Amino acid sequence: MDANMLYALRDPAGLPFYPVVFMLLSVLTFALHIFAVQVMLGASSLVISGAFRADPHWRRLASAMTDVAKIAVSVAIVIGVAPLLFVQVIYDPFWYTSSVLSARWVIGFIVIMIAAYLLLYVYYFSNYRADTSRTPRSRWAMLVSLALFLVAGFLIHVFTSQMLHPDQWMQWYAPGGDLDTSGASLHAYNPWRFGFFILMAVPAVGAWLLAYARYLSGRADADLGYLAFVNRLGARLLQVGVPLVLLLGGLWMATLPESAAGFGTSIWVWVALAALVAGGIAAHLARGDGERGSYLPLLVLLVVGIVIAAAREALRYVILYGAHAYDFMDYKVNMDWYSTALFFGTFAIIGGSVLAYLLTVAWQAGRTVGVYTPSPAVHRMGVVSIALIALWIVQYFVVGFVVWAR
Amino acid sequence: MDFIGLYPTWYEPGIGSGWVVAIIATVHVLFSHTAVGAAILFAYLSTKAYREDRPELLDYIKKYGLFLLIFSYVVGSITGVGIWYSTTVASPRGISALIHTFVWKWATEWVFFVIEVVGVYMVVYLVGKVDKRTHMTIAWVFGLASYATMLIIIGILSFMLWPGKEVWFVEGGYLNGFYGSNTFAQLAMRTAFMLTMTAVVGGIVAARIKDPAFKKEMSRKLGWLGIVSTIVGAALFQWYLHTLPEYAHLVMQNRLPDYFGPSLMAILGGILVYFIATMLQPRLLVTWGAATMVVALLVFGLWPEEVARESIRKPWVAGQYVYSNQVIGRDVPGLGIESEMPRLEAHGLLPLHPFLPEELREVTPENVARAGEAVAITMCTNCHSLSDTGIRPIRRYIGDSSDIVAIKRYMKGSLGTGNTMYMPAMPLKDLEFEALAVYLASLNDPSVVARYQAERAPLAKVQTTEDK
Ligand code: HEC
Ligand code: HEM
Repeated sequence: MDANMLYALRDPAGLPFYPVVFMLLSVLTFALHIFAVQVMLGASSLVISGAFRADPHWRRLASAMTDVAKIAVSVAIVIGVAPLLFVQVIYDPFWYTSSVLSARWVIGFIVIMIAAYLLLYVYYFSNYRADTSRTPRSRWAMLVSLALFLVAGFLIHVFTSQMLHPDQWMQWYAPGGDLDTSGASLHAYNPWRFGFFILMAVPAVGAWLLAYARYLSGRADADLGYLAFVNRLGARLLQVGVPLVLLLGGLWMATLPESAAGFGTSIWVWVALAALVAGGIAAHLARGDGERGSYLPLLVLLVVGIVIAAAREALRYVILYGAHAYDFMDYKVNMDWYSTALFFGTFAIIGGSVLAYLLTVAWQAGRTVGVYTPSPAVHRMGVVSIALIALWIVQYFVVGFVVWAR
Repeated sequence: MDFIGLYPTWYEPGIGSGWVVAIIATVHVLFSHTAVGAAILFAYLSTKAYREDRPELLDYIKKYGLFLLIFSYVVGSITGVGIWYSTTVASPRGISALIHTFVWKWATEWVFFVIEVVGVYMVVYLVGKVDKRTHMTIAWVFGLASYATMLIIIGILSFMLWPGKEVWFVEGGYLNGFYGSNTFAQLAMRTAFMLTMTAVVGGIVAARIKDPAFKKEMSRKLGWLGIVSTIVGAALFQWYLHTLPEYAHLVMQNRLPDYFGPSLMAILGGILVYFIATMLQPRLLVTWGAATMVVALLVFGLWPEEVARESIRKPWVAGQYVYSNQVIGRDVPGLGIESEMPRLEAHGLLPLHPFLPEELREVTPENVARAGEAVAITMCTNCHSLSDTGIRPIRRYIGDSSDIVAIKRYMKGSLGTGNTMYMPAMPLKDLEFEALAVYLASLNDPSVVARYQAERAPLAKVQTTEDK
């Protein structure tokens, strides 16, 4: 595929706003997505390790992490939708070609995800009422679930990787000159890159545990022995995880395709490396004392995640622009102010205030022994949230009727 | 030369990519509508629980909610992504058209999705852990946010069939594309039927209530919800039909499968009878009965509805300007989009498709069947399968004929001129039609290719130079 063909594939409808904004949103939301994925993978792994041990602390942790995994999957999925939207807006020629060439797997992804998620629930419902001293039932379900989630993640990794090889698309689609329309093959992947994003789960869940301990230590009925255990485990996962991730990142950079020549030693990699090392050290220092844990490592890792997501996007740009002369920055713009303003307004005002309310309540309720009754200020946040969404709905109809009647 | 923006084709010979999309979409419609309806039901029940101090209502919310977490949020959210994914591989330029026009709308919907996901966990798991007033507040946030997701997607779905207002083609502008009479009629109708689905699915949970008095109350509530929403929905369906352009009515009269009307009537009637029965006699409300109703709703209600929605927009797949076979068939000056028809007419398909091997760019006696296959794969497989199974198997449509001349004449006359109602115009080159005809004929009689080549090879040189 030469640049001419790539540009021909671009959607003629253009974009309703500047392309760079979609790219930035894509980086930000991808960072959140992959973080949720990592927490989910880490939590699931802890569930499994706990379920196969007799130690009461491990058992208790496994039970708590089942809830974390369950919710983290939902969050990973719902956040994943955003980069899915943004990537195909600016990189449509690549995203669609890659998907169609592995179409059967694209459909397979859906089936695999449903199976994996249902199995997680099978495990959950087999154990949610049981007391943690008993050996958990249906451990196989959890094992298979985790394995399937990893397969699903690998598929996305393949779709993303195939985007980067326009020069090989024709060979994949028409090997030997005969069209292969089955979409049955997976063509490009890099195990180190995949491993890098997956094993980030180790430090991520380590930081998660430290935060979890910190959170629980605020409860009146906190069990200090358990918290100390959680803290130790969290700190160790952080210590082991960061070097592991550095190693995989190095292997990934060493195995970049030729089209990315030079990227491995570019400023992006140095920045990401610095962020990882500094973040790892900072997280370690901020890990908190014996029982109390800390929220800081989690925040630090989130920031590191955003830096890495940015470097990952830069890599894509370097390959597609540098080697294939496709520049998403020159995407045609059909400016649409209304829908642009509506999104940012909804995102910042409604998203911000409603989530602030919901998360405050969830946070406080989780820390309260017995029934939680919010303060008048928090309750007012709730009323404001309802009013804002109601206002949004009114706006929808008013604008709609005006347009309709015109 | 300016290529046409066509992607590779995914062709699924078993059931056809169209059916893969339709199956995922049907399942998703049930789950997503139930989720939105239930969110609104929860807001109502939670308010009642707060005002009248009725903890058992919260208990029902918790049970229904847990059930929904799996039913709607696991399967519903993944099939939602699934619709995107399946249309991506079945019709990349169709989904691309929607995504590029409505990216901010989808992004806005996504904000509400995030609220919804956080909300559903809280509505379910905080029962008994927060006071009733707080639960009510959360339930309202959840209910309204869910409904907002519906408001957004309806506009996009309407656009997919028909851009809201005709001026959209000339002026562009997302508002003109989003809002139209069809948008509001569809919204009203879907809102009603979503409550019907909520009532049917809610029966599965209500059936397991132990306390007879409470069970009676819930079956009455669900019964009323179901009956009223079904009747109102049926009336709104008439309004919806009115807002469809004349063209869609023509298609519906001529093209919809015969079972469509009776099937819809039967399911609507069945639902009414079912709700009346369970209201009069709550003992009739049993889990398997409710589950059967859900399946019936899927098979006799939603499946025909999805098939119809698919049919009435033929030959277009999105916005009345992207054809099902991915070619852009109409100018949209409002967005600076140019029809690809003139370029097809001038150069033919084979030289302009980015994803073809070089040796197929020109039809020769040697490659004629393969070139014809490439044309068929690109231009027909979105609507016709090339095998004996799946959507509208093409062999049946050419009447088992292997007469190349007749097939070619038919193709040129109908597809070439674009005067069939439900198929895209395809102003291909003469030789491309010939290759297509050879390939189609060979599906019925593989030996025609060799015969054609034997006859044609000596003439080929003359023919191609003439054609140019
Ligand atoms: C937009 C979808 C669509 C595309 C693309 C399409 N068709 Fe059709 N075709 C239909 C429909 C719908 C019918 C009518 C089905 C029925 O009557 O049940 C039809 C009918 C036919 C018939 C039967 C005769 C008739 O006019 O009813 C033939 C022959 C045919 N198609 C050939 C083709 C060929 C060859 C191609 C590709 C070059 C093609 N079609 C592409 C939708 C399509
Ligand atoms: C429906 C659910 C999901 C959606 C919608 C989704 C979406 C996405 C998107 C849009 C990207 C970015 C693609 C790009 O920028 O090119 C991505 C990347 C990724 N996702 Fe997900 N995802 C989902 C589930 C998962 C799951 C369950 C995993 C579990 C392991 C996972 C692991 C990954 C990984 C590893 C990457 C990075 C791939 C790479 O850059 O090599 N995702 N996902």
